[in-house]
Amino acid sequence: MTAASDSPAADVGRGWFPADAELHRRDAPKFCPACAQPLTKATGGAGIATEYWVASDRVFVCFCAACGWSGDVVLSTRVTGHEAEH
Amino acid sequence: MLTAEQNDELTDFAPGTPMGELLRRYWYPVAFTRELEEFPVKATRLLGEDFALYKTANGRYGIVPEACPHRRASLAYGIVETDGIRCPYHGWLFGIDGECLEQPAEREETMFRDRVRAKAGKVQELGGLVWAYVGPDPAPELPRFDVFVMDGVRDIGWADLPCNLIQIMENAVDPHHVEFLHGRYFEFMGRQQGFDAPASFGKKHVKVGFDAFEWGIIKRRVVEGATEEDDDWKVGHPLVFPYNMRVGGANIEQMQIRVPIDRYTTRFMLYSVHAPAGIAYPEQAQVPDYNIPVFDEHGRHRTDYVEGQDIMAWVTQGKITDRTVEHLGRSDVGVTMLRRMYKQQMARVAAGQDPLGTIREPRDRIDLPCEKNKFHAGASFALDFIEMASSRFSPQKDALKKLHIEAAENRESGVSV
Repeated sequence: MTAASDSPAADVGRGWFPADAELHRRDAPKFCPACAQPLTKATGGAGIATEYWVASDRVFVCFCAACGWSGDVVLSTRVTGHEAEH
Repeated sequence: MLTAEQNDELTDFAPGTPMGELLRRYWYPVAFTRELEEFPVKATRLLGEDFALYKTANGRYGIVPEACPHRRASLAYGIVETDGIRCPYHGWLFGIDGECLEQPAEREETMFRDRVRAKAGKVQELGGLVWAYVGPDPAPELPRFDVFVMDGVRDIGWADLPCNLIQIMENAVDPHHVEFLHGRYFEFMGRQQGFDAPASFGKKHVKVGFDAFEWGIIKRRVVEGATEEDDDWKVGHPLVFPYNMRVGGANIEQMQIRVPIDRYTTRFMLYSVHAPAGIAYPEQAQVPDYNIPVFDEHGRHRTDYVEGQDIMAWVTQGKITDRTVEHLGRSDVGVTMLRRMYKQQMARVAAGQDPLGTIREPRDRIDLPCEKNKFHAGASFALDFIEMASSRFSPQKDALKKLHIEAAENRESGVSV
């Protein structure tokens, strides 16, 4: 069951992976890279940022409801020249 | 991974919520046609709201909130009349459009009835199903997707599942699950229970792809031994936004319908049309519908058939899966794309625009892209599908197998029909 949304940090400290949830809330883009409006509900926006992982990279798939921009924001620990076989 | 508030927003269908407003822009199947032929009024629940659905003696359909505006008795126990539905409690009569036509105990000259109105929706029949629209006016056109209007032998398996719509829809953009849930797990269950699982589901995915298009998202895959020239990639099949998935192959065309009954319940319907070339289809006075099993006698999920495996995966995620503790990988990019699409369409509705897949001009038939040669498996897929998927519970299972076999024999021998 989903946590109630009345607390702004209702997900932090819950579940089996509280550290990941906390990092997600800390690092998810808060403002649109294109128009600088609030991006997600946590910051008053109406868009979304879904996080997925590729090795140690964290990818936030974003949509800004204010300007319609859509794209990925990637937090990388290493920049590589060639993609490894996967 | 999402925050809790994003997960709540994505899964809350109540009136006035962004998702609730979005989902109320679409038509949903709320009954089988035969139900209202057997009895002209029934209770139905959609998007967390209760309705009375009825059909008058002259063939007109209507839908109104179940609670009578007078004293809130159930109109699902109402008296169906030529002009609409009458409350069984004090006789208030409501027309097809919701107007209050009579209040027998009130004096006519007060015109009190002009102040009262039931919030009526729109209803149409199509393909053996009764469809309702309960959103704001003007209602869009009911999309006449190919499976609902094409020739063939129809068959509808269904079950009410105790989970939220969105986790079921996320499965529709998750091709990789097939090779494990319907491949390796199926083989495992076969070894445990003594049956042979079909080989076509276990092929390894080499590549998956997703394209947004006018009706939703086209899902593509290349499985081991196939190429991008094969149907699974070249054609693919679509998630039909916001609650359907069109699948098929080997002369079976299917719409997987997932109706959001409420936040915690989804009606899963497998609307199949068996349409092999080379044979005349028998007349169907009624489309057969049948319940597919979710649990066995011990309360465990039935996972010895394809959709039972899907149901297990959806339901065991919880009534609403907690996306604050999930871990998506690159193979889940279809899931991220779908969530973004829901949000994009919520924003369109908030801006007063029509969302994806709503149409304002009538169309006789809407053809959806769908591969014919499923999983590079050839004609054997049809018999595998009937024997090992939900059709095995159909009252016409044997007749369906016979239909495909005879059609194949006719095609091979050049018999024309």
